[in-house]
Amino acid sequence: MDRPIDRPTGDRAGELSPGQIVPPERAATPESSPRPWAATIPRRRLLRMLGLGALSVAPMSVLPELLRTVGPGRPVEPVEGSRKPATTRDGRIRQWTMIIDLRSCDGCQSVGGPPRCTAACIEGHLAPEPMEWIEVYEQELAGDGTRFVPTPCQQCQNPPCVNVCPVGATFSTPEGTVLIDQDRCIGCRICMAACPYDRRFFNWGEPPIPPAALLADYSAEHQVPARKGTVMKCDLCPDMARAGTLPYCVQGCPNDAIYYGDLEEDIATNGRVVVAASRFLAENDAFRQREELGTKPRVYYIPGHGEAVGRDVLSPGRAPTEWPWTEIVDGGVTWQR
Amino acid sequence: MATLSGWQERLEETALAPVRRTSSRFWALVAAEVAILGWGLYAYSFQLRDGLVVTGMRDRISWGLYIATFVFFIGISHAGTLISAILRVSQARWRTPVTRIAEFITVVALICGAAFVIIDLGRPDRVLFVFIYGRWQSPIIWDVLAITTYLTASIVYLFVPMIPDLALFRDRLKGRTSRWRAWLYRSLAIGWNGNVGQRRSLAAAIGVLMILIMPIAVSVHTVVSWIFAMTLRVPWNSALFGAFFVAGAIFSGIAILIVVMAILRRAYKLHEYVTEKQFLYLGYLLAAFAAIMIYANINELLIHGYKLEEGAGFHLRQLFLNDFAPLFWFYLIGGLFGPIAIVLFPATRNTRGIVAAAILVTVAMWIERYVIVVSGLRVPLMPYAPADYAPTWVEWSILAGGLALFALLITLFTKLFPIIAVWEVAEDHEATVSAFEVTSPAVPEMPAPSGGTYS
Amino acid sequence: MNATIRQTVRAALVLVAVGALTVALAAPAVASHVTVRTSMPSAGAVGEIVPLAIDLHTPGGAPLSGTMVTYYLHMSFAGVEGHALIGRAVTDDAGVASLRYQPRTTGLHQVRMDYLAPGATTVESVVATFDVAGGTQLVRSAGGIDIPGINPGLLMLVLGSVWLILLRVSFRLVAIARAGGADVPPEGDGPR
Repeated sequence: MDRPIDRPTGDRAGELSPGQIVPPERAATPESSPRPWAATIPRRRLLRMLGLGALSVAPMSVLPELLRTVGPGRPVEPVEGSRKPATTRDGRIRQWTMIIDLRSCDGCQSVGGPPRCTAACIEGHLAPEPMEWIEVYEQELAGDGTRFVPTPCQQCQNPPCVNVCPVGATFSTPEGTVLIDQDRCIGCRICMAACPYDRRFFNWGEPPIPPAALLADYSAEHQVPARKGTVMKCDLCPDMARAGTLPYCVQGCPNDAIYYGDLEEDIATNGRVVVAASRFLAENDAFRQREELGTKPRVYYIPGHGEAVGRDVLSPGRAPTEWPWTEIVDGGVTWQR
Repeated sequence: MATLSGWQERLEETALAPVRRTSSRFWALVAAEVAILGWGLYAYSFQLRDGLVVTGMRDRISWGLYIATFVFFIGISHAGTLISAILRVSQARWRTPVTRIAEFITVVALICGAAFVIIDLGRPDRVLFVFIYGRWQSPIIWDVLAITTYLTASIVYLFVPMIPDLALFRDRLKGRTSRWRAWLYRSLAIGWNGNVGQRRSLAAAIGVLMILIMPIAVSVHTVVSWIFAMTLRVPWNSALFGAFFVAGAIFSGIAILIVVMAILRRAYKLHEYVTEKQFLYLGYLLAAFAAIMIYANINELLIHGYKLEEGAGFHLRQLFLNDFAPLFWFYLIGGLFGPIAIVLFPATRNTRGIVAAAILVTVAMWIERYVIVVSGLRVPLMPYAPADYAPTWVEWSILAGGLALFALLITLFTKLFPIIAVWEVAEDHEATVSAFEVTSPAVPEMPAPSGGTYS
Repeated sequence: MNATIRQTVRAALVLVAVGALTVALAAPAVASHVTVRTSMPSAGAVGEIVPLAIDLHTPGGAPLSGTMVTYYLHMSFAGVEGHALIGRAVTDDAGVASLRYQPRTTGLHQVRMDYLAPGATTVESVVATFDVAGGTQLVRSAGGIDIPGINPGLLMLVLGSVWLILLRVSFRLVAIARAGGADVPPEGDGPR
């Protein structure tokens, strides 16, 4: 009457072991067995075992990708696979960098319109509104006054976005740039939560696509046309650098404030002058944005507030960015930041 | 003993009753749940067609109601862990009547939580990429692994202790129910007939599972918290997140269990088994976890508030004074201090009071998840004006649809499977009765009191 | 008489002109009285630090010390050419200034060294070249997190153990199913 409650002692005396077959005569007698399907036990048991076994190995499907390590020392393959990294004449891989001389940046106040670097990038990439892949922020200085800080993707060497991407849609290239493959992005947006520089943008709806974009050859180095439901950002124009020209923002700046360079060859240019990058940075007290976060950006800044082009530190405000080509097309939607 | 088997008979009848008879009220409820779910699917069709622009999320606040609800559902999935596993390990007998429904809440909540992550994706057609191209360094992959493991373990942990009750259904409903149901009970009972060998195996399996499921459950909500804590956002950059989220999960799990149990008790007349004692004890647990949550919140807020690093000042102001103040204060007062007060005062320390506390906690915990997600993203990273976020009708509709799915699955479950762990409640009753008889041996035929009056 | 004088004057004028021209052409080496010698590395490779030396002396042979020499390297990138500052050095007591420079490109390097001799008002330059051969990668791009000890193997080990335990539990279920043929004990109560 009072049945002792079984404790998990592991004592299996008296219990049928899993491999033991039920004697056929017992299985075949329907009266003694409460299960009318007793005659077909072995197949059902087999199916049950298979089912349970399959259930337990289902998550192992993740195994192949999990074992594919991505760590330092192993070159990260671009998702397209076939692209070779840009190299110097003797085969060393270029290490793209950008140096922005804030002494020459006045937010295009002297030009009297929206910042030209942003405008050139928007036109060159047909970036959907309201994306500003290079965005000119106005920072308050510790003393009085403000300075303008054009901020492209910082191309971090310890990129939080690459670290958290679940499918490897955003990846670091051997040249040190961070790209996005819109063919793989699943739109989970953890990279947008992780980026501490506000440099990633999402195609919330069907982005407006002008006819010129449809003719473009899509690649992770040239994200045209935009795709709904994926993330985009500045890619440091590696396709243009590979071809030996300068990115849109560098070309667009009227004050030649943005330098583009290669840390491997230690060289940079703003389209007008050439500098030895390391000496240029060191002698002008270059800094990086939010250095304390440990992201190790590849975009450097020379401190200043536009004094080289005549800007007074106390004159605030710049013209808002425009997306002129959006008027041309219909069928897409835009949204606010 | 005649009275004991009478009690047993009553217990079995109560367990079988929902499967035997279905009232029209049930169908009305199912119809309402299906209608709300349908409305949610209709709203989702807009999102599939037009993209996530139909929500209120934008570049600066790129996660919102969907991720908050995902975290909320994964949180309430810890109902099963606490009740079934921790209390089973500590041999707390009072938990036996509620253990089955707690385990089922876990499974259903995990399914609903996983659904909300997929709803939040910009490219849901590529969801399998997570399995094909998964990167082990990503917190989302840790999430996928943990939730898959937890879901499997929970389904097994739901099924294994249910085997004897399924055998009961199989035997008692034979010939009196539809063929597919008979087949279902027969298959799922896997030939249970209560012999010694089977009981040993069952005990061993349950013993292993109840220990195993605790670290799995702790790891699940820890990795969910790491989706936030592995980023550089100021409000999320905290070492406390793992423990904080696990405590919050168990807290909201207790609350949803109280709510669901109260509803089912009324609907299926379980008053003899789910008595005020269950509500009281769960209420004490609720208050205890509320205290733990208050402690965790004090740690977080005071540590950041004392130093007021850049961003922390903005965040604390938006929580306590500005945009999120109404929600945050409701969470603090209604969700944290409320349950403690309700349990503290004898006037409210009863079933009704505790159910009210549980409803407050459930709502407050959803609000807390929402505030964590949205306020965390709202702190400006660069010099720009902070953005605002408000969910649209699509997001609210999908939330309603998700909750309706949760309710619908539980509703259907009660019609199909035993909602009370019959054999465990019976065992518990026998043990209590025999203990009672041992202490008063002179009284021969003591009518066995109902299960709820032992203290 | 007139013709002779005119011829002499013409010759003298030519001589003076030639002399002035010679002096003008020789000016860089002779004007402001500085003698310059450069010493460029004969065999350099990318990544090796090589000395770029310049020797300044007065025509009398005394070394010119304490003079700042600024080095520029001719560079070309993305279609833009120019001279980029690569460093400065000051002449020592022996009149030698040496810049330790790490070449980063291959091919012919053209260095221009500017200095301001004491007493002079204009900066003077001298150009020298040297060749650089190829080398190995100097700057590597790191990507991704690197926590020692945390690797997929560890993760799969933990996960694998959990799933093995679940598999063991499923074997228990199979045992239950198989044991269904055994007899039920006489008592009817308890788990049925």
